[in-house]
Amino acid sequence: MEQVLMDNLWVIIGTFLVLLMQGGFILLEAGSTRMKNAGHIAGKTIFTVGIGSLVFWAVGWGFIYGEGNGFIGLTDFFFGDSSFSGEGLSPAVDFMFQMMFALIALTIAFGGFAERAKLSAYVIFAVLFSAFIYPVVAHWIWGSGWLADHGKQDFAGSTVVHLTGAMAALAATIILKPRIGKYNKDGSSNDLAGHNQVYTALGVLLLWVGWFGFNGGSTFEVADAFFGFAILNTQLAAAAGAVAAMFVAWALTGKADVPTTLNGALAGLVAITAPAGFVEPWAAVVIGIIGGIIVVYSMKLFDKAKIDDPIFALSVHGTVGVWGTIANGLFAVPAYSVEIGWGLPGLFYGGGFTQLGVQIMGVVASGVYAFVVSFIILKVMDKVMGGLRVTEEEEIVGLDLSEHGSYGYPENIPHPDDRKGA
Amino acid sequence: MSKVASDHEQLNKLHDHIIRETVHVAMKKVCAEWGSPPAPFAFFLMGSGGRFEQSIWSDQDHGIIYDGNDDECQSYFLELGKEITHGLAVVDYELCDGYVMASYPLWCQSISSWQQQIKQWLQEARWESLRHFSTFFDSRVVIGREAYLKTLKETAFSLLKSQPHLYIRLVENVAFIQKGIGVFGQLLPETRGEQAGTIKLKQTTFFPYVNALRLLALKNDVFLPSTLSRFKLLENNYPTIGRYRPYFQELLDFRLRFCKHARSYKQVHVVHKHALSKEGRQQLKVLMKNGYSLFSETKSIVEKECSLW
Repeated sequence: MEQVLMDNLWVIIGTFLVLLMQGGFILLEAGSTRMKNAGHIAGKTIFTVGIGSLVFWAVGWGFIYGEGNGFIGLTDFFFGDSSFSGEGLSPAVDFMFQMMFALIALTIAFGGFAERAKLSAYVIFAVLFSAFIYPVVAHWIWGSGWLADHGKQDFAGSTVVHLTGAMAALAATIILKPRIGKYNKDGSSNDLAGHNQVYTALGVLLLWVGWFGFNGGSTFEVADAFFGFAILNTQLAAAAGAVAAMFVAWALTGKADVPTTLNGALAGLVAITAPAGFVEPWAAVVIGIIGGIIVVYSMKLFDKAKIDDPIFALSVHGTVGVWGTIANGLFAVPAYSVEIGWGLPGLFYGGGFTQLGVQIMGVVASGVYAFVVSFIILKVMDKVMGGLRVTEEEEIVGLDLSEHGSYGYPENIPHPDDRKGA
Repeated sequence: MSKVASDHEQLNKLHDHIIRETVHVAMKKVCAEWGSPPAPFAFFLMGSGGRFEQSIWSDQDHGIIYDGNDDECQSYFLELGKEITHGLAVVDYELCDGYVMASYPLWCQSISSWQQQIKQWLQEARWESLRHFSTFFDSRVVIGREAYLKTLKETAFSLLKSQPHLYIRLVENVAFIQKGIGVFGQLLPETRGEQAGTIKLKQTTFFPYVNALRLLALKNDVFLPSTLSRFKLLENNYPTIGRYRPYFQELLDFRLRFCKHARSYKQVHVVHKHALSKEGRQQLKVLMKNGYSLFSETKSIVEKECSLW
């Protein structure tokens, strides 16, 4: 087979893997939340993937990759390009791969909505996030935007996907306020434990596998089989993150907490997303370890600040997304940066503070944009819709019943028509 | 109460006095409604009350042994148990959430039924059976015939001697100790809920001492339930164990010092990390570490002695 077709085939395999990550999120989020919301979490993930796909097709791709200015693209709306020049990726393959990243960012953003937002809030925000928030940041860094001009390095989206999603989640979490029963009057916090750690663990594993498509596919080609190297770094960072987080949890509390360990693996994955193709394997281990450590402290910090983050999206994708991006400015090697024309080496490889500065600037600009615009949109929605949050009664009964009319686990709920005996 | 709140012995004498008075009131009431007791009996305390180790707030752990026929006597003594339980609840002794109270048939039996019960617990040797047995063994009579309880403990000693592997099972039954000190030598407070920031004194610090001395008491036919008394009786046989007695005394004083403002039974077993000075934290860590060492030494002693049989 010609190499160019193999390139296309590899990227479309990556596309499938990244779409499968939505299954990982379904299990992760459902397992990390309570039983009464499980069906809702699973269902909303599927339909917001639907909304996000349509919006990305209509305007998202155009805002990112269309001809425009440093802030936004303004052509190529309602994508329908079936051409193939015989070089590089076919536009449709490229489009599909990029769409999957937008959908992941959207699902991360909805982590901040968990267990208390109205279904209608999901619908409207899915449209607005997919049109006006994610594409703008993606254009800045991956399109022909102003950060790309500065040589901002983000191999597969620590900033573009994870930080952008997490900043929207933070805005939502602040506006929605904590779930009922999360904090006591004296300020102490309760553990509203997820209903199924096995689901959560399977979710993490599915995401882990999907991440091979996320980072490996971001090579966009099979030349030199470099995707194997990106995947090697991905595996090492995830492993190091899991081990580090479990050790820190054990050292701090005396208990090897399972959800913390799982978040450690995800932290390793998020952290290596920006540097996967820029750093050496030993650095991937260090990046994963630091990701696994800071995710634990970040979870504690948000809890202390009374920011209720049911599935730890803010820590895993936000705090660690920042770390992953900055790590490039420290560990990027010349062979995978300046020598291929993508930015400069990191601080530890003679690049000085230049690349580090670009990375920090990228994080701050993208984070602030995603947070501010999300906050404004959600505030306006809050006013117009008469609140983003379901009523107290609906929250107590659970979103499965209040928003969808049926339970995710119907057999566990007594029904008045149940007949006992033969 | 405030007069004796900082003196462990005086505090426990006061508890005994209140409990005796309450039981007398209950007995009078039952006598008035049901007539005189159909058989002689003993009312005994278990748990921290049995060990003479109560803090300013305490819960109920008690039972009744009577020298009579179950069919004829049990309903009377269960009624007495209910009245005692109610009376103690009125004077603020919290109900036992494990139902270790004379108002339940398991803890209100004739001598022969109690003997069968002890035999059954030890034969089953399951987690719950051995927990019940250990609870029962930390006991003393506060009203009635002390000889009845002594007879039951003799039964236990004899059964254990005939099946020494049970000593190992009893060690296993209490071998899990909730960690109070982390890998960096820091205290490990609760991280969630209303008790976030507090250290569970009972589980992390008291249990290793109490459980270790109970195991040695069972091994050496010691009838006395108090941990301090057990220390005194056993330190001749085990000089290394005797080294830990001052730490236990210090622990009793420590709890009274830091929990004297507790406003409920729930609060009396916990101390907030921020309520402790630097010295207080250091002292607590020393008490915890010695408790862990004591339990570890006790485990080795019991295992070694059992291997010789």
